[in-house]
Amino acid sequence: MTKKHKILIPLLTITSLLSGCTAYPRLMSYPFDPGGRSLNSLASESNPQVSGRYVVFSTDRRGSQDIYLFDTITRSLIDLPGLNSLDAIASHPSISSDGRYIVFAASRQGRSAVFLYDRETRQSRNLTANLQAEVRNPTISAEGNRIAFESTVNGQWDVLVYDRNGQPLGIRQDPR
Amino acid sequence: MLTSCSYSNIPIGPTSLNSRYTEEQPALSGNGRFLAFISNRNGSHQLLVYDLQQQEFINTPRLNRQETIVESPSLSYTGRYITYLTSDQGRPVVALYDRANQNSEILTPIYRGWVRNPSISPDGRYIVFETASRGQWDIEVLDRGPNIELDIPNGAPVNAPPGSL
Repeated sequence: MTKKHKILIPLLTITSLLSGCTAYPRLMSYPFDPGGRSLNSLASESNPQVSGRYVVFSTDRRGSQDIYLFDTITRSLIDLPGLNSLDAIASHPSISSDGRYIVFAASRQGRSAVFLYDRETRQSRNLTANLQAEVRNPTISAEGNRIAFESTVNGQWDVLVYDRNGQPLGIRQDPR
Repeated sequence: MLTSCSYSNIPIGPTSLNSRYTEEQPALSGNGRFLAFISNRNGSHQLLVYDLQQQEFINTPRLNRQETIVESPSLSYTGRYITYLTSDQGRPVVALYDRANQNSEILTPIYRGWVRNPSISPDGRYIVFETASRGQWDIEVLDRGPNIELDIPNGAPVNAPPGSL
């Protein structure tokens, strides 16, 4: 009996240790950096979205709410030149899985708009310049072909779907 | 009892995406065909999935339940996996609905803190969400593991997933 236990206890310890290492779902441990050069900082991080190797999110770590991009393979931030500006609050980003297109909402001079940022040209384009309404919560498909967001054009929040050129999709979107 | 199990207010047949009530929190599937969002139509706060190609709602049995609220939907590549925020005994949890077996599971049962805004990767393996465990909102990445069925396009090469180094 005692002999049996002597074998059993180390066996149980080994199996529990092994399963502890491979138990899923589990949280990934990405570096936390108080200096603000990683995924998490001492400031607020919000609205994360994961697509392919990228995690895009908004953070106020530099004293203004900006969009940041984290690469889960190199475990470092990717620069987004020209995306964030001092006179705008950027929120709710979403990225295509190839990492090229990022949509986000920004409010500038009291008007909210959905912007499409192209990492190749480093340009942002306002997709909702012709929409006389409040907009929020944009999202782009992983293939980068469609963009959906909320708009108040009908007096309550509705969902609009556009293609990447800013054209409404040819489907019935109006409320019935 | 039966009605609570088969509870569904999904509009039947070809119909419009929006209603005269609030539609919010849109999320597109990776391929851009499906759109998940929260709608307040038919007197309930529910998660609906719309097929942009067929222009109709698709059935998601047992996803919406009568006594709970769901928020913040997110879709994988073909819309097979749907993550959302709901509550379990008053605690916010991230849940995952699999359209293949029409069941939901809670992904964050071990998590003590507050969570919000979950988002699933197109392949369905990773889920990012916000947590409050450090006293402000931070981002956690949850790995569902190498043994799940990935939601990827037909013929796509299977590479070593990020983070498995």
